[in-house]
Amino acid sequence: MTNIQSNAVVAETEGPVAPVEPETPKAKARPAWRSLNFGPRLWVSVGIILVITLLAFVGPLFYPYGPDQKVGSIYDSPSAEHILGTENFGYDVIAVLMASTRNSLINGLLAGTLATFIGVLIGILAGYVGGWLEEALMGITNIVLAIPAIVILILISISLQSTNIPFLKGIAGLALVIGITSWPWTARAVRAQASSVATREHIDVAKLSGARTPGILVFDVLPYLASYVVMAWVLQLASAILAESTLSMLGLGVSGTNSLGMQLHWALAFQAVATGAWWAFLPPTIVLTLISFGFLYLQSSLDEVFNPRLRRGKKKNLAAAAKRREEAARKLAEQGDAVGVAA
Amino acid sequence: MSDSIFESSSRRTFLKAAGLTVGGLALAACTGTQTPGGGATGGATANSEKKGIGNNGKVGTGRKGATADALLIAGFQWGPPATFNPLSPTAAWPAAANVMQIVYETPLRWNIATGEIMPGIAKEYKVDGTESITLTMQDGVTFSDGSACSAKDVVFSYELGKKNKGINVASFWQLADSMEATDDKTIVIKVNQKSKNVSNVLRMLTENYVLPQAVFSSIADDKLPTEVMAKPIGTGPFTLDKADQTQVVLKRSDAYWGKTFYGGTPVMSQIIHPIFKSNEDGNVKFQAGELDIMQQFVSQIWKMWEGGKPVGTYLKDKPYYLPGSMPMLLMNTTKKGLDNPAVRKAIATAIDYASIADTAMSGYTDVVQASLIMPTGAESKFFNKADAEANGWKYDAAAAEKLLTDAGGKKGSDGVYVVDGNRLGPYKLITPTGWTDWNASCEIIAKSLKAIGIDCATNFPQQAETTQAIQGGTFDLAVWYVSGVNPATPWARFKDIMSQSEMQPLGKTTFANYGRWKNDQVEAMLTEASQAVDDAAKKAAYDKLDALYRKEVPSCPIMYRPDEFYEYNATNFYNWPDENNSYAPPMFRGAGNTWMYKIQKIAG
Repeated sequence: MTNIQSNAVVAETEGPVAPVEPETPKAKARPAWRSLNFGPRLWVSVGIILVITLLAFVGPLFYPYGPDQKVGSIYDSPSAEHILGTENFGYDVIAVLMASTRNSLINGLLAGTLATFIGVLIGILAGYVGGWLEEALMGITNIVLAIPAIVILILISISLQSTNIPFLKGIAGLALVIGITSWPWTARAVRAQASSVATREHIDVAKLSGARTPGILVFDVLPYLASYVVMAWVLQLASAILAESTLSMLGLGVSGTNSLGMQLHWALAFQAVATGAWWAFLPPTIVLTLISFGFLYLQSSLDEVFNPRLRRGKKKNLAAAAKRREEAARKLAEQGDAVGVAA
Repeated sequence: MSDSIFESSSRRTFLKAAGLTVGGLALAACTGTQTPGGGATGGATANSEKKGIGNNGKVGTGRKGATADALLIAGFQWGPPATFNPLSPTAAWPAAANVMQIVYETPLRWNIATGEIMPGIAKEYKVDGTESITLTMQDGVTFSDGSACSAKDVVFSYELGKKNKGINVASFWQLADSMEATDDKTIVIKVNQKSKNVSNVLRMLTENYVLPQAVFSSIADDKLPTEVMAKPIGTGPFTLDKADQTQVVLKRSDAYWGKTFYGGTPVMSQIIHPIFKSNEDGNVKFQAGELDIMQQFVSQIWKMWEGGKPVGTYLKDKPYYLPGSMPMLLMNTTKKGLDNPAVRKAIATAIDYASIADTAMSGYTDVVQASLIMPTGAESKFFNKADAEANGWKYDAAAAEKLLTDAGGKKGSDGVYVVDGNRLGPYKLITPTGWTDWNASCEIIAKSLKAIGIDCATNFPQQAETTQAIQGGTFDLAVWYVSGVNPATPWARFKDIMSQSEMQPLGKTTFANYGRWKNDQVEAMLTEASQAVDDAAKKAAYDKLDALYRKEVPSCPIMYRPDEFYEYNATNFYNWPDENNSYAPPMFRGAGNTWMYKIQKIAG
């Protein structure tokens, strides 16, 4: 897939293809990944996500206070000892923030991966196999899409709170709920692409070679969708983190667990906004915004990497590409003239 | 790659979700930042002439529009009103038992500030030793439909408790042998000579409403608590105008019988109770002057008047509220593990009470003692501090674990103790959703229990669901209320927690001893306490009860709380009762109705 795509990349960026003399093979081929354009947007988004991940997973190892350690009273103001003060339970805001970010990221990872897996599985089956199976799977998908996801999320979350099954009451349970309610749009998009891939010649070749359907799906269809799946997964991660925050803010989060949404829930419940305790609600809001922004930016920049039509690049590269296209067009025109004269 | 589909579904969905979340946060931030500075009550000004105004000496300029003549109240109704049947355990405000004397009224009224029992529908009461109580009715008492309310209606109302054991008033008949209307205005109550509990009979007369015989006699006995009632008829100064899932609206009854007794009709033509989902929604409205008075927890309430709002409390300095109740951690002793007194004592010892007082309760309470007796106020004379400290408990996680290991407990691989073959958990700790201070207290309790190896998680259902679980005995752990300070406490509190006399089997509604704790000695001790004739004898009896309580720990108090949070906003009305203007107690039930007739409108 990478080679095919890299050829396409060349075609798109260089404009009309001029007939060229066959070149002698170079001693060493250029690595495939080098042809992908990792622009500055990608590095910015990766940087944001990396910083937040470090805050969540590495920060607690060095921070002197724990998220369950009472260090002050309700909404103590920021001080040298507690840079962002304390929240409503008297815990250090930074300690709680790190634990919350970690749990929110884990929740997003679990829920996003589950939603992407379900969406890709249903989409690829429906798109490749077609027929009644496609009708049935897409019918289910459309039904799930038609019901507002937030309603289902709230109802299932309330039910989960009443259950006595330990697994379902934790972060994993909430991630499961979010995952099984947010796959439909992935399934629809994957189905469309799988339908398109299914008509390509290499699929016929695979079938004639005796490949079985599961093998074709994994080795001949899925690679063509890989770039989309990666982007969908990134978006699902961010959506899952936002969904968890929404539920937790409504008081439907996981009992006794720190999360960005729970921090906001308690900040609202104990009137942090009204009493001017900005340090209780602003840090989780900013981290939540950064996570969403980082993942959206990453998805957007990955879109550029995988789709040459969206590629922006630096100005000087664009000018060079334009110059090469102009040169190629001129050569074509000259060849045309030469043919005409010869005729 | 079909980018168009990707672009139109996923990214848009993502942006929508992100927009909603950020928008919600921005809205919340805007709402909050608007109110402290100015907002709806930006016109509050200092006033030295008017009484009963904000703690900062400020008063508002009145409210305009449709609610100008209405009193807006909150903190009593948290879900769609299901029924206005006062005998239903889930009756809506103001029909719920002993909530507020607006539609229904009681024979007598309790004043928490003075400890007096004041006249209600009965203009006087006489106690004949421990033999009998005689009530004399006020003149011209009528129901809101115009029919007369006589002594027969009073007797009928209390005798309903004989017909159905599942209603609140049923417990009256363990305290009284008979109740008789000797004429249209006179009622004689014969006190039960086994219990001889006069103070508790009086308490029942301050808490149970008088109902119209003409209405309730047509309801089958077994349907008394379940009958759905949409149009309540009582003797009070207001009638139900409308009710839906957003509000309950009452309108003034100008034919009210008590105009002479109370010195006129209330100044407000309507009383509106908006139904909020949680404390914070109501608090925002209250701060903005869109509520006049409420009974709900406000974190750091002093920030409101420091921010210029004309908000007031009864006490002008901390703790701002009169302590009057003792919310308890109820433990269902029919559940495995919780049936062991050592485990219950370990639970009581594991709870970080100081954190609850300091953070969840915003400092409105002291750290609780290991006793069912309030260490302050009228009950303090019965409080045995030395014994509470010597044989009680206080927060000590290590001591709590030791209690478990001493009881033969061993920690499993999951970090949870197993005692006598019973894994301690998973226990669900419930309390109604939106009760902010209780919700936060539950989180602290759950964390405290987890820290010592008891598997506990919080769960906050709707109020009606919580009530059903507690009264039906299907809960594990619950934070719930018991008798606040009243004419019969602390005896009533011991009865609420320890008595088996009213206890119903699991699954059936019970109104006392929700934890279904059983003990052979306690009933005799309760009788001894109720029959004690002087304070010394009472103290001796309470000492025995409290010692048994500390040994068995059927439940444990988690905080001292005002019996009712009483806080007002002088935007539209002034002359609210406070410690400097103490014509009425800071309450809503009982004698708290006095302020309804005395507050005055600021404009118009």
